[in-house]
This record gives sequence, structure tokens and C-alpha cells, in this order.
Amino acid sequence: MEQQIDPNLDAKKKAAWQIGLAVFVLLFALTIGEFFVGAVAVNWWFILIAIALLKAFFVVRDYMHLPRLFKGDEEEH
Amino acid sequence: MTTSVNTLPDYRRKLATNRLGLWLFILSDAFVFAGLFVSRFFLLGFYARPELNQILGLVITVVLLASSFSMNRAETAMAYGDRKNFLRGVLVTLVLGVIFLIGVVGVEWQIAPFSPSDGTAASLFYVMTGFHAFHVLTGVIFLAIVYRNGRKGLYSAERMWAVEASTVYWHFIDVVWIFFYPALYLIGAPVF
Repeated sequence: MEQQIDPNLDAKKKAAWQIGLAVFVLLFALTIGEFFVGAVAVNWWFILIAIALLKAFFVVRDYMHLPRLFKGDEEEH
Repeated sequence: MTTSVNTLPDYRRKLATNRLGLWLFILSDAFVFAGLFVSRFFLLGFYARPELNQILGLVITVVLLASSFSMNRAETAMAYGDRKNFLRGVLVTLVLGVIFLIGVVGVEWQIAPFSPSDGTAASLFYVMTGFHAFHVLTGVIFLAIVYRNGRKGLYSAERMWAVEASTVYWHFIDVVWIFFYPALYLIGAPVF
């Protein structure tokens, strides 16, 4: 039997990869930013914590896919 | 013979339960890391930190972030049935995980100007990085198993729970380091 291949699958995969890349670029930029904040302003701990929270938010939402947990058993990958 | 548990709807129902179990485990593990994180500020406050190599800290942090990116790429590839890019992504993640371990345990622990016996705050640094490194090591072992099974063709776009679980676990390790990095390397002035 000939296998049915969805022509949109490749485009969907590339779009998902691009989101992953965008998140990585953002995480990288924030890390460089916190490195310089840490180097020039040792007392700005609240900014560094805020940056860490922001980075964690993006990883949990876009890499760990926390929203999947609330979508029940109908959710595909 | 095909049993009912092997049907796709049953697999998906089980998947929802598995996800809940994994997140409960991650939440309980996060409390341990949170305890260590709070202990660091209890012992040193917000204006002091250990004297550590800043460039090395930045490099290993970027390496771990890059490993999360490659793992996300691998999981996405498998979700769309692309086994070749899945295996490639897992392999890159494995290598980056090992580089991170070497950076922390093999380099940072050796060049740190203090030892675990130099007081409570000094030993806490080794506990925080050591406990995290142990999680990285277990993550590397999980990924090696997933890579081996992936090469055997045991996963598909519809049945890839092991891939998803090891991916979520790996990203959790990354999230922990996202908080440990500023706590150990950036917040406060170096005092010991």
C-alpha cells in the first residue's frame, strides 16, 4: 500500500525548528546581557533574577511544552 | 495478536497520565534545587559570591543552552517522523552535555580557589554544582539510551513518549542552571 505523505509536514517541521532557533537566540542574548550586568553592576541582583525568570519562562513554554499537559489525551506532538 | 493497550487511542490516554507523572517528578525535584538556591542567598546574601572563572561560567552556560536547542530540534524532527535529524540532534545534545560536565567537574572544580572544606558557603558551591552535574550525567545516560533505541527504529511520530520524557528532563536541567548561573557566578562581589 502506498504511504500517504502530508506535503505540509516538512513546512510545519521547519516552522517548529524556526521557533526553537528564535528561542535559542533570545536565550543567548539574555545570557550575554546578564553576563555584562553581572560584570558592571554587582548589586543589581533583582535584574539578574528577573532575566533568569524570563529565560526559564521561554524554556518551560517553548522547549518543555508545558501547555501540552493541560490539553489532555487528544494532543499530538 | 494486538492487545488493546497497543492501540493508538489507548497509547494517547496513557500519554496524558505519563505527562502528569513526569511533571510531578520534576516539580518535586525542583524543590530540592530551590532549597539549594535559597541556601546560597541565606549564607552569602545578595552582595557576595564565590570567586569563579567568569568566562568559563559563560561558556558552559551557552553550551547547556545550545544543548537544549539541539534537543528541541531532535524532538521536533521525531514528531514529524524525521529519524535522521532526530538522531543527529540527540547526538549533538549528548556531546554538549559531556562538554558541560567536563567544564564544571573537570575544569571549574579544579581551578576554583577554594575547596569543599573551606566553610559552609564553599561547600554549598560544590553541592549545588555537584547535584546539578549528577542530573546532567543521568540526562546524558537517558539520552544515550534514547539514541540507541532510536537507531533501532523503536520510535515513530505517534509513539515517542521516551523521547518526549528525556527531552523534558533535559530542559529541566537547563532551567535549573538558568537560576544557578547568576546565583553562583554573577550576583554579588567575589569574597572567597
